[in-house]
Amino acid sequence: MEATASSKFSDVDEYGFKRGDKFDYKFYGKFMDGYLKILTRRRIKWEGLLEQNPDLTLISPKLKRYIRKGIPGPYRADVWMKISGADEAKQRNPDLYRSLLNIQHFNKEICDSISIDLPRTFPDNIHFDAKKERLFNILCAYAHHNRDVGYCQGLNYIAGLLLIVTDDEEKSFWLLKHIVENIVPQYHSHNMANLLRDLAVFRELVIRRVPAVNRHVEDMNLPYAVIASKWFICIFAEVLPVETVLRIWDCVFAEGYKIVFRAALAMFITHKNDILGCDDIAALATLFRDHMIQDSIVTDCHSFVEAMFSLRLKRNELESLRKVAVLNGN
Amino acid sequence: MGAREDEYDYLFKVVLIGDSGVGKSNLLSRFTRNEFNLESKSTIGVEFATRSIEVDGKTIKAQIWDTAGQERYRAITSAYYRGAVGALLVYDIAKHLTYENVERWLRELRDHADQNIVIMLVGNKSDLRHLRSVPTDEAKLFAERNGLSFIETSALDSTNVETAFQNILTEIYRIVSQKQIRDPPEGDVIRPSNVEPIDVKPTVTADVRKQCCQ
Repeated sequence: MEATASSKFSDVDEYGFKRGDKFDYKFYGKFMDGYLKILTRRRIKWEGLLEQNPDLTLISPKLKRYIRKGIPGPYRADVWMKISGADEAKQRNPDLYRSLLNIQHFNKEICDSISIDLPRTFPDNIHFDAKKERLFNILCAYAHHNRDVGYCQGLNYIAGLLLIVTDDEEKSFWLLKHIVENIVPQYHSHNMANLLRDLAVFRELVIRRVPAVNRHVEDMNLPYAVIASKWFICIFAEVLPVETVLRIWDCVFAEGYKIVFRAALAMFITHKNDILGCDDIAALATLFRDHMIQDSIVTDCHSFVEAMFSLRLKRNELESLRKVAVLNGN
Repeated sequence: MGAREDEYDYLFKVVLIGDSGVGKSNLLSRFTRNEFNLESKSTIGVEFATRSIEVDGKTIKAQIWDTAGQERYRAITSAYYRGAVGALLVYDIAKHLTYENVERWLRELRDHADQNIVIMLVGNKSDLRHLRSVPTDEAKLFAERNGLSFIETSALDSTNVETAFQNILTEIYRIVSQKQIRDPPEGDVIRPSNVEPIDVKPTVTADVRKQCCQ
């Protein structure tokens, strides 16, 4: 490919994902010139922090600030385990994962539905074929651990990305459990009740922050469920560029569900003009499905995360909007 | 996107339903973009795409909705069936269970879609001849008994994909255009200038619009 030949970047990223035909190597090169310096600086700062405070279970304002600026790749898995409390949960129940794998009779329906999704999880990742068996173990163990959820499509992407980052089945299991039960409970359960509620909350936030954008989206008749279901179900895995998703997840593990709303809202605010520029539903759907999730705004993960935190958003507001959404039956 | 993407005589909403992994998304991409992805990914949430075709000199714009096959996703797809005038109920000819579940999907349509929705039963993956587990005759008979049209397709090698969509859209068009002649419009009518009025309610709903300067 011409673009790759003239680029210093490979057509596969550091996590094994193939860069698509439309990947903008020129922009990426420019972005990385600056970002590599940031990464080096963060790495040094984190080394110092981990030397002083290897515990990380208490999230001080300084630690929070560090996390928002990105956890360096080599530390990510362990830092996620500690800041989320998944590590502690694992220590309290050290045999859980092994005992789930040793269940004698797995539910066939669950196993079948997971098996259908295995080849359809990250087919564009060159290393992932070798991880499929481990992904099956994680999803199957979790489905049997939490029968209310079982297996929900979308968890394959979350668990898959956890596995890529941690390269460890058991850690992936505990982080998945944390996301599904503590960060976004009842998103993946059979009635998806909280997902529906939070889609309604998100719409209300768009009305409050960028009313013109909401009016336009509703004039075009594009439902929020079409736009944002996958954002919330997968917490942006298999939606945004990997590095951007990982930066978002850094903050999700430290600060919780509020971050998911920040990211979703930042998508709307940073793309306000693009959205307003679409004059029919098909163009708008294509913008959300294709362009917006891989353009320069979201590829520049550092600026995108900055945009997320320049938003005014308080937990109180979200909680009261959630109450209203439930009262209104979403 | 075509230059005249916005000009059409009829807009029909068609939904793709059926078990997970039967090839709904690839049928959609084959029809709307002539693309097939061997490395396909599981669909999460709801997606849709559009394409316009000609029937009897009229431009019909099809808005085709696609969703995750897993049952729990019905929770977020309440809007999915609203206004749909056609449904492609897809199963995999090589996976018998996906065919057995067709009855469940028919119930789902009965419960949530308009009673006059046009349904086409689609046996996809017809290229997998050596793995076939649902005989064509059996499915055909089932379709006849249930008043559905029937076709076998392969999104992979393109067989019948175009025909399937053409047929269902034409069938919907015939019903809608006959209805216009039979029932004089009243009530909820979209009546742009310069075009014969068309009833969009109460049975087969269709959004009708025509640009005045063509």
